[in-house]
Amino acid sequence: MAMTTFAAIDIGSYEVSIKIFELSKKIGLHELNHVRYRMELGKEAYASGRLDMDMVEGLCDILEDFKRIMAEFGVSEYRACATSAFRELDNPIIVIEQIYQRTGIRVEILSNAEQHFLGYKSIAAIEAGFKKMIQKGTAILDVGGGSLQVSLFDKDALVTTQSLKMGSLRIRERLKELEKQTIHYEQLIEEFIRNDITGFQRLYLKDRDIKNVILMGDFLTDTIFQEEMKDKIITRTEFMKRYEEVVSKSETALTEELGIDPEYASLVIPTMVICKNFLDIFNAESVWVPGVALLDGIAYDFGEKKKIIKSAHNFENDILVAARNIAKRYSSGKNHIQGTTNLALAIFDSMKKVHGMGARERLLLQIAVQLHDCGKYISMSDVAECSYRIIMATEVIGLSTEERQIIASAVRYNTTEFVYYEKNDNGSGVDRNRYLLVAKLTAILRLANAMDRSHYQKVVGLKAVLKERELQLVIDSTRDISLELGLLKDKVEFFEEVFGIRLVLRRKRKM
Amino acid sequence: MDLKKFNKPEYFVNRELSWLKFNDRVLSEARDKTIPLFERLKFLSITASNLDEFFMVRVASLKDQVHAGYEKPDIAGLTPKEQLAQISQETHELVHVQYNTFSRSLLPALEKAGLHLITEHESLTDDQKEYVDRYFEDNIYPVLTPMAMDSSRPFPLIRNKTLNIGALISQKDKKKGKEVLVFATVQVPSVLPRVIEIPSGKEEMRTVILLEEIIERNIHKLFLSYDVVCAHPYRIMRNADLTIDEDEAEDLLVEIQKQLKKRQWGEVIRLEAEEKMDKRLLKILKSEFDIKNEDIFSISGPLDLTMLMKIYGLEGFDKFKTPKYNPAPVLEFQNDKDIFQVIREGDVFLHHPYMSFDPVVNFVRQAAKDPDVLAIKQTLYRVSGNSPIIAALAQAAENGKQVSVLVELKARFDEENNIVWAKMLEKAGCHVIYGLVGLKTHSKITLVVRREEAGIRRYVHLATGNYNDSTAKLYTDCGIFTCDERFGEDATAVFNMLSGYSEPKRWNKLIVAPIWMKDRFLKLIEREAENAKKGIPAHIVGKMNSLCDPVIMSALYYASSCGVTIDLLVRGICCLKVGIPGISENIHVRSIVGDFLEHSRIFYFFNGGSEEVYMGSADWMPRNLDRRVEIVFPIEDEAIKKEAIHVLDVEFKDNVKAHLLQPDGTYEKQDKRGKVLVNSQMEFCREAQERAKNGKKDPKDHSRVFIPAEPAADIEES
Repeated sequence: MAMTTFAAIDIGSYEVSIKIFELSKKIGLHELNHVRYRMELGKEAYASGRLDMDMVEGLCDILEDFKRIMAEFGVSEYRACATSAFRELDNPIIVIEQIYQRTGIRVEILSNAEQHFLGYKSIAAIEAGFKKMIQKGTAILDVGGGSLQVSLFDKDALVTTQSLKMGSLRIRERLKELEKQTIHYEQLIEEFIRNDITGFQRLYLKDRDIKNVILMGDFLTDTIFQEEMKDKIITRTEFMKRYEEVVSKSETALTEELGIDPEYASLVIPTMVICKNFLDIFNAESVWVPGVALLDGIAYDFGEKKKIIKSAHNFENDILVAARNIAKRYSSGKNHIQGTTNLALAIFDSMKKVHGMGARERLLLQIAVQLHDCGKYISMSDVAECSYRIIMATEVIGLSTEERQIIASAVRYNTTEFVYYEKNDNGSGVDRNRYLLVAKLTAILRLANAMDRSHYQKVVGLKAVLKERELQLVIDSTRDISLELGLLKDKVEFFEEVFGIRLVLRRKRKM
Repeated sequence: MDLKKFNKPEYFVNRELSWLKFNDRVLSEARDKTIPLFERLKFLSITASNLDEFFMVRVASLKDQVHAGYEKPDIAGLTPKEQLAQISQETHELVHVQYNTFSRSLLPALEKAGLHLITEHESLTDDQKEYVDRYFEDNIYPVLTPMAMDSSRPFPLIRNKTLNIGALISQKDKKKGKEVLVFATVQVPSVLPRVIEIPSGKEEMRTVILLEEIIERNIHKLFLSYDVVCAHPYRIMRNADLTIDEDEAEDLLVEIQKQLKKRQWGEVIRLEAEEKMDKRLLKILKSEFDIKNEDIFSISGPLDLTMLMKIYGLEGFDKFKTPKYNPAPVLEFQNDKDIFQVIREGDVFLHHPYMSFDPVVNFVRQAAKDPDVLAIKQTLYRVSGNSPIIAALAQAAENGKQVSVLVELKARFDEENNIVWAKMLEKAGCHVIYGLVGLKTHSKITLVVRREEAGIRRYVHLATGNYNDSTAKLYTDCGIFTCDERFGEDATAVFNMLSGYSEPKRWNKLIVAPIWMKDRFLKLIEREAENAKKGIPAHIVGKMNSLCDPVIMSALYYASSCGVTIDLLVRGICCLKVGIPGISENIHVRSIVGDFLEHSRIFYFFNGGSEEVYMGSADWMPRNLDRRVEIVFPIEDEAIKKEAIHVLDVEFKDNVKAHLLQPDGTYEKQDKRGKVLVNSQMEFCREAQERAKNGKKDPKDHSRVFIPAEPAADIEES
């Protein structure tokens, strides 16, 4: 039986850690080693946007050591991810290059949405009950050092997910000076986060009924509740009891009691206050602490990609649902989007050999279609630009910043003139590969969108057949599609340019 | 569990005084006429080297405390000053008994055995005189460095633990026309053998003389223009305790090397001088070493009895020695299977020195060359010179394995040695961890990570003794091999922790000091106490080297007061008292001092019938529980559990080598009259050999008939 060993590295805001897993179809994911090292990268990053040389040096030492640990288990593949501490650097690429030159480890910076998507995958990785749990109203609360993510589920699907810059370390650092002036530190934190919490409640939670809260994060949440947890589930009452016990204690007392480092202890109260406030607005009955974190999610994601693990839960669907909810928020026409999606996918699927894109790109195309006219909500006359801005400013769970940019660009060029790579001088950050992807997605999006110009879904069926260098689109419609056909002309031109094939539009012959 | 009531000074014995009692027990072996003569020499030698270490470490530390004005009493309520006073008294008595044993008992016996030991050069025959003088000129003279003290030359540096000859030499002051006495000293060279065999002149007799006697006889040749008024050997002990400020030590390695060089400059805390030393000479030494009368030992015999080990090593007296025991091969490995396969088939128990240590060496050796092994990790505390384990580790690194070795540089008196081979390992490509700041790593664990068909598999060896193939022939220790994944996971976590990473969220099986162990032991003791209160039989058995942790001892008192039967095998220091009404009536303590050094730590808890057995590296001492990285591991395999309980059983049946602690604090051997003699160590030897021969796995399988150990013929009159 084939066994793969994989390592996931998490460069977090107050801890650098590695987990080594072995994966196989039979056993799934099995943790072999978990190594953690306390290093408060976030402290400097949040304050100054820089990491000083010693800090980077220290990080490199740890990563060198991690390489050794990987070798000890014969690790063949790894993924090293940095989170909010790196996201908030002014010069992340420079630091990452330094790390690469010294250690040979390529660190990738996860966008907030990616990070929490992976974290959320980790829950699915360990728990079959997850699927059952999310049938009812469930929230996932993922509290990190730099930020937190809260995701709401209902009927087996993700309803919304939001990121708030309210991580434990960030709060501790912000309130450091003020802490000395109060004896009620927990109230200080509460006040500090109140505005964000109520904002979230008003805009996203509304009157949703949340029964369960899944609390995840890192070892800290586990440590705080280690005694209370039977089956890893604690009731709200138990939580509140624990909360009262903890918040009144000094760091030294917590250090002793929980058997953790004093630096970790200083994060306990902020973490607890955040959790408590969310539980309050959710009014949830029980809290589940599955004890997993980003590292498990990274490994799960790897296993999925390598087809070692088959998920019971459709994660892609979560991303799509999240995108659909964004579209809904900006009042995009549901039927038009559905119609366009069908057309776009029919085109995409028929010409895989020509465009060479895979499943991930197919997902990006679907999201692009979902969001292609969200800008209308702001301005009817400047849809392209407004859509672009909305997408760039809205996190879509599971997508990296780069992917989001690809989608935003495709949407922008859907209705405005395409800017060629060579003419693009403004340092938009799009590299050659991404540029090509944008071009391809744009071409398909334009075509599909034009076919439903009237938003009447006149095209009932579309059959796309690739014959040598010619793509035949056979349109099945009983209605008058002269508007669509007329407007298609210039879209076809661009399509042919991008893919280098001839496009022939035919109406399905009526029998 | 309220322990306050049980934590009173009058319930405890001072640890130093208890240690001296242990040395008494070793000395009693030297006095035991049923033991072969040369073995008795060895025991006497051990008492001498033990005492040296005791002064260098323990007495020195107390002296430091006195200097620092530290007044806090110990668990028995004695201040450092009071302790020193009692120690002085006890050690003088001990030395007195040592030399009594030497001259009244051992010397005559040696004579009878055909070995004449010349302790005074005056008794040499003419032929012998000629021989030793020639030997002096050829071998000794060239390496001597005589030093004199006068107005222009200060008192020379006398090195720690070296043997020296002090002399008063006189010179005529020509101006004043009178004799002037000058102090001179010469070190007895440690590069030359202390014991020198010389022609005896008789067929059936062999003769040896001590090096210092030859020098004494020829000392006038060193100070040619002087008259030698008197010459006597003396020896000093200095404060040699390493006090490394680890918080400030940026590089532990450099710091220790620095300390080693400084060690010889320590304060003099003991002066041994020949009994008949000239008063004037003694006065000079006393004032130059700035030493008080109670720290001066007048010795009626040769100084530094550790030289008896050299006499033990003389060839040709085999009938006066216990025949060397050859460890029995380990049954499980007596086949063609590779070691990993054997471990996969089930946990393997090792009991050294009765069983061979070879499997442990082979474990590392095979791992080094096995193509599927990815990594080897090991903690090393004390290793033998030219250690096969070190060689195998280096080989593994050269073969491309990931090798991590924790080398404890703070292992007492082994630092210099350890630094050398740690560097060698580094050169070979091993990842060497130099211990943790502030914590000695005393745990003994080896982890081998192997990639197998079914995935990664971890093989773990856990033991009570060091990875030292030499001491494994002399120390009684236990160990297990396992590939239980829960142990493997814990082992990985141990090495993560030792590499400076955060501790794991939880331990599956291992109990690790400093953070978790003490609490666990207290809980285990409390559980027995709770059972006893409920009327359920409760029993604790502990075997260890030393017992002096006040909290553990209080908990044992508590358990005893609740009705738990507590049987302890404590080889060395035991600060606990037995037979205190209402406190320790249910506690029994015995100490086994035998040919092998009792070293294993085994802990047994009856646990209402589902017995639990643990083994490990930790004694019940504060230093083990609070200031060291130690591992205690549970014995899960039922067959091995049985074996471990059997080990404890047999040791409690021992009536030959066991000393029983009495309520008055003394140790007494049992009355053997009318009893079948049981010498547990001999019994284990026999069992191990038999098992290897018969292929029987379970010691309970064969009927137990104890064979009385037969004392070797001793020609001493009795």
